[in-house]
Amino acid sequence: MDDDDTAVLRARDFWGALVLIGVSVFFLWRTLDIPLWGGNRAGVSAASWYNSAAIVPLGIFSAMLVLSIILLIIAIRAGGAQRALTAVGIGWNRAEAIRFTTIGIILFFYIAGLVPRVDFVICSGLLITALTFGFHQGQVKRMILSASVVAMCGAYTLVQHLPQSEWGAHDDDVVTLIAWAGLTLIVLASARGDRVLKACPVIAVTAPVLLVCAMAFGFRQNVPNRGGLIFKQIEYHYYVTLRPIWRS
Amino acid sequence: MEFVLQQLVGFGGAFFALVADPLTYAYLIVSVFLGITFGALPGLTATLAVTILTGFFGNKIPLDYSLIALLGAYVGAIYGGSYPSILLNIPGTAASAATAMDGYPLAKAGRGGEALGLTTTASFIGTLIGTIALLVFVWVLLLLSKNIASPEKALLALFGILLSGTLMSEDLVIKGWIAGLIGLAMAMVGLDPLLSEPRYTFGWSYMMSGFQVVPVLMGAFAVPQIIDGMRHMQVGKVMALKGRILPNLRTVRKNLPTITRSGVIGTGVGALPGVGEDVAGWVSYGVGKTVSDEGEKFGKGSLDGLLCSETANNACIGGALIPLLVLGIPGSPPAAALMGAFKINNIIPGPTIDPEIILRVVAIMVLASFTMFIMGLFTARVFIKILRIPQVVFLPIVMVPTTIGSFSVGGGINDLYLMLGVGFVAYFLNMLKFPIAPLVIGVILGGLFDETFRRSLLISGGDLFVFASRPVAGILLMLNVALVLSQFPATKRMFARLRNRIA
Repeated sequence: MDDDDTAVLRARDFWGALVLIGVSVFFLWRTLDIPLWGGNRAGVSAASWYNSAAIVPLGIFSAMLVLSIILLIIAIRAGGAQRALTAVGIGWNRAEAIRFTTIGIILFFYIAGLVPRVDFVICSGLLITALTFGFHQGQVKRMILSASVVAMCGAYTLVQHLPQSEWGAHDDDVVTLIAWAGLTLIVLASARGDRVLKACPVIAVTAPVLLVCAMAFGFRQNVPNRGGLIFKQIEYHYYVTLRPIWRS
Repeated sequence: MEFVLQQLVGFGGAFFALVADPLTYAYLIVSVFLGITFGALPGLTATLAVTILTGFFGNKIPLDYSLIALLGAYVGAIYGGSYPSILLNIPGTAASAATAMDGYPLAKAGRGGEALGLTTTASFIGTLIGTIALLVFVWVLLLLSKNIASPEKALLALFGILLSGTLMSEDLVIKGWIAGLIGLAMAMVGLDPLLSEPRYTFGWSYMMSGFQVVPVLMGAFAVPQIIDGMRHMQVGKVMALKGRILPNLRTVRKNLPTITRSGVIGTGVGALPGVGEDVAGWVSYGVGKTVSDEGEKFGKGSLDGLLCSETANNACIGGALIPLLVLGIPGSPPAAALMGAFKINNIIPGPTIDPEIILRVVAIMVLASFTMFIMGLFTARVFIKILRIPQVVFLPIVMVPTTIGSFSVGGGINDLYLMLGVGFVAYFLNMLKFPIAPLVIGVILGGLFDETFRRSLLISGGDLFVFASRPVAGILLMLNVALVLSQFPATKRMFARLRNRIA
């Protein structure tokens, strides 16, 4: 690491240490809820400090607080506090911030919105298409477009079917499928002379289908959203059409 | 002698049972291939390979096959990292960073085929050295570990976290320790192991059982890798492979002392709790540079230098399994992922482990190293083609098994939220140069530390002297204290003065 990198790192350490101090203090405060000097649980007396469930967490968060303060001192001594309030000081990079934010949005809506509610093949296909198209050439417009498509589908599922009792509905499967198809058309339109983009739709279909089938039927593992639009059909035909062939 | 014979007979039994089972080959070939592929693709790591397979295989297939898949991928991935190091000058895994120093100049000089062939042979011999050490020392340590009680276990767990934090830190050592403490803190969530007191559950029933290891592993190792790797990057120019890959027996024999020395160093470093293959590679490279006749050629295309790092990083695997199997303390980050696999299969590594499992692990390691050797020599050109695949193609695919893997091991959707949360935190920690390995080791060892620390106090009636009253505990306590003190500026100054005086 050169001097500039170290200076940026110390400015970031300044903020990092402050967050860690905050976290340590919060959890030390929460640890006080656990009886330390003798408590009574369901008629059983936990009489001594060394019996307490709080003793190890207290040690951990106290040590974390002390180390965070030391990190803060190191950062301040290295000039981190002075640089911490300027964008240049913390090494702010707009392109990198957009890249991280768009990936963060894609991953958040994929995990929190789509995976529990939408067919796994469809939502994973959309994820692969969005990530490959959005970040292959490093173009900001494509990143934002990909993130917007995934966010739109994710937001739709979250708004329409938030409670678990509604996760079986299929309208969100259809919306996501249409969005995936639309994005795939854009990918194909921009794929001239680009082997990665040409291969993208094929990979986006085959990878999730193979992986989810291997997991569900090969290793007999649980997979997300078994009642999804496409997986339900695959499962039906596996057990009703295919399996009897070798079972008989 | 009788002991050695007994070991060999036990190993022979386990080995032939595996060899006689046709399914062994199916799992072995697929997993070693996947492992080499993961290692060869810059952006994917050995830890990620073992982590994803842990989630993928879970506990739904017999443990033997699970271990074949995981160990095969582990051995393959550490070896696979040498491909991009030699042909692209980009280490495929951190463990192969030292390999690039001499591998790439050799490839540039038209000796790529020779370098790859020797690397494959050295990795094979290195893995065998580590495995032999595992077979021998695991039993010696298992005998010793019968005397290890709660105070020693608590101090060992703490030592593992501290040592990993100290050696894995790229920036300040304090960051490694903080990462270890974050991991320990995460392990405190849920019902405590002695009194079933709920801790930090915030009224959420999912939190009562604590954080599951697999989603934490996936979040810590896979998600930051995906976020970081999704960027536009030109695939480097792969050097044309010149010369035959099959190594010359005379050259191998000539380099055998280097390979043996590096194998021993790699095994030793691997046996240190929490220290990975990358450290083993660099330590062996450093030692080689000092003792080798062609030390001045290191970094300019020395075969000796190449063999030093490549043998050591593969030998490290066997070494890393010693503390894992004997003490339940992972010797490296991929071993931490293996520990996760043991845990979800309800196997508790440590003094009470079934000796049969150790023999099977050794037999699998031998078979995996043979498979790696054969694949490396005869299918190298396939892996070279893989090097041309850009990260933006394979990283989105990796996200899919990561998601299914996290979901399927038990906790369902909540585990996915946990994985994502840990992933974002790990990404920011990476950005601030906090090492992630101590965090994961902290999560894995946190439960053990909490339980054994409090049990020691319970037995002694709150007397803290219990951590110093037994010989092994006393030594471990001193090691912990020395490790912490060694990082104090005053101690460093004192050692520097001493060094100057001696010089």
